[in-house]
Amino acid sequence: MSKGTNDLVDILVAKLKRRQLVGSSAVAQATLKLLIVVISKNNWSKANDLLNLVRSVGQRLIEANPTELAIGNIVRRVLHVIREEFRDAEASSKSDDHSEFQTVPLTTSSSMYNLLSETGSDDKEYTHASHNLRSDIIQEVRDIRIELDTIYENIKNQATNHIHSNEIIMTIGRSRTVEEFLKMASSKRKFHVLVAETAPSYLGQQMALELSKAGIEATVIPDSAVFAVMSRVNKVILGTHAVLANGGLVAISGTHMMAAAAKHHSIPVVVCTGLYKLSPLYPHDEDSFNVVMNPDAVLGFEEGDLMEKVTVTNPYYDYVSPEFVNLFITNQGGHPPSYLYRLIVENYDPNDHTFDPLA
Amino acid sequence: MSKDFDVVANYKSLLLNSPELSMPVAAIQSLVELIKHSSATTMSEFMLSINVASQLLKSSVRNSISLSAGCDLFLRFVTRNSQDVAEFEAWKATLIVRGQSFVEKADACRYKIAELGVPFIKDGSTILIHAHSRVVSLLLQKAAENHKRFKVFVTESSQTHGGIRSAKVLRAAGIPTTIILDAAVGYVIDKVDMVLVGAEGVVENGGLINQIGSYQMAIVAKAANKPFYAVAESYKFVRLFPLNQYDLPTYNADTLSFQELNVDYDSKTDETGSVSSSAAPSSALSQTALHMKTSEDQASQGSNPLVDYTPPNYITLLFTDLGVLTPSGVSDELIKLYL
Repeated sequence: MSKGTNDLVDILVAKLKRRQLVGSSAVAQATLKLLIVVISKNNWSKANDLLNLVRSVGQRLIEANPTELAIGNIVRRVLHVIREEFRDAEASSKSDDHSEFQTVPLTTSSSMYNLLSETGSDDKEYTHASHNLRSDIIQEVRDIRIELDTIYENIKNQATNHIHSNEIIMTIGRSRTVEEFLKMASSKRKFHVLVAETAPSYLGQQMALELSKAGIEATVIPDSAVFAVMSRVNKVILGTHAVLANGGLVAISGTHMMAAAAKHHSIPVVVCTGLYKLSPLYPHDEDSFNVVMNPDAVLGFEEGDLMEKVTVTNPYYDYVSPEFVNLFITNQGGHPPSYLYRLIVENYDPNDHTFDPLA
Repeated sequence: MSKDFDVVANYKSLLLNSPELSMPVAAIQSLVELIKHSSATTMSEFMLSINVASQLLKSSVRNSISLSAGCDLFLRFVTRNSQDVAEFEAWKATLIVRGQSFVEKADACRYKIAELGVPFIKDGSTILIHAHSRVVSLLLQKAAENHKRFKVFVTESSQTHGGIRSAKVLRAAGIPTTIILDAAVGYVIDKVDMVLVGAEGVVENGGLINQIGSYQMAIVAKAANKPFYAVAESYKFVRLFPLNQYDLPTYNADTLSFQELNVDYDSKTDETGSVSSSAAPSSALSQTALHMKTSEDQASQGSNPLVDYTPPNYITLLFTDLGVLTPSGVSDELIKLYL
């Protein structure tokens, strides 16, 4: 890897380690920018070289901040794009090759059929060099960039389908996606929003302020009142930090409670999220994607004599299991949690779940 | 058509010689052997012979779900590639090579699944498993090799001695294992962290066909809010869509039928289970159990089902060699094969 790009990687790694760069959206944009530079400014001829290059960069970034799942998602998107471009190039160059068992390329991922057909190892295919491949790949990766830029557009355009007049919507925390969604809907409909204050960060209060600035009637309620008020709510609209492969959410603390209350009252729960937040990882451990913040916000240091007698934790995220979510509104339309496997298969490659170097 | 090659006998001897071989893989191997011995000279004769052999295999075994899956997969593969065949003999030879490489790869499937499943086993957890499944045992052995500490409850499954076989294998790997009564699943569920079962077959909607008792365990697990995981190799995916338990091909008119009323028993306990003897309850109960086993009531024993169907909404995740799948992802994989 060239020295210039190495420096850029170091800078981003440092930012991530120091938590100077947080939040899925910002992290995703930065990672993508870096990968574009890495691909264009380095020398590579074979697919394996490029894949290993991107994987090594991805591995370093993920180690810098393992809870920012968006990093891994973007790296996997780019790897998938690279593999696709190489496969297409191979397919077109091999088109005169005629073998007895020319299998129609049904899909890039493995299938039962491959058990019987002679696929060999997938990585062996990537040994051909190509010239205009470089520009093709960079173009495709730039398309991902455009997709990231237009996420809020695509999601908020679906707003009027889901929010109707005189509805009471409940939300928690401060999600930019939900904010845009609600603002767009308010231009056409009149409705009321209840925002849980989301202690101890009190992001809910900020959300309510922003919504009221846009002319939406917003009410802040304490987190403890969520269950009590839930029966009067028509819909729960949530943002999330990440979506896991089984449809589960990693969202701000308090989301699980709200989703459970909604399920109890049979209120639909809708999650607004860009696809870059969808991770192909499964929650082996409910705490594996969590980060614990300063306990001072929960129990202040002034409570001197209590400090030795109690353990105080302040987890920032909640894991919400998939049966609490009814619909995901993404930049590619609305999907139920059971459909996510499809989105994962279309956007990621099963070989990229870990970033160990390829053979 | 080669009438001298007995595909069923070959299949049975394969299973006898290698106990680790699973039924669908043995079936495919037998079909490959059939191709070797086939004297067919035309495509249609050849296809017919394979179809007939496949039917013979399916009808030779009482519980033929996974066997059917294997046969259908192979048939599908052969049909798919029979489109433009230039040279018949060369094509047959390639089929044989492919079939054999499949058998070798199939063994690797189990190891892949074990790799995928190990992260789901948490340190200090308790796992409930059902009877004996080689894939499940391999998964747990791998987890133990990765220095995870966990305990296992296994259901007895006395009809097939599954519980005892599993316990032997797991204890040899240093995993603390306790055999529980099949009826004690509800009792034990609050002590376990997850339920793990193998599969005879995975159906189109992501549901599971497995040894009798799996459905019960799934219901209990759901009621107790415990995750229910199933492990299955991808060649066990079948094109079935059962709407209820009785929709399976293993169900016939005899299953759970009410046979003759006058069944002769030695002791004074009768079929409805009411004890009229003066013996202590525990010995009477054990006598009844003994009678089922020693085929005193052959009627009931023969008519009890071997497998049941677990609907997909009870299954949390499926570990397959194609990756970890949610039940809804299974139909996608099946469609890819049959496109």
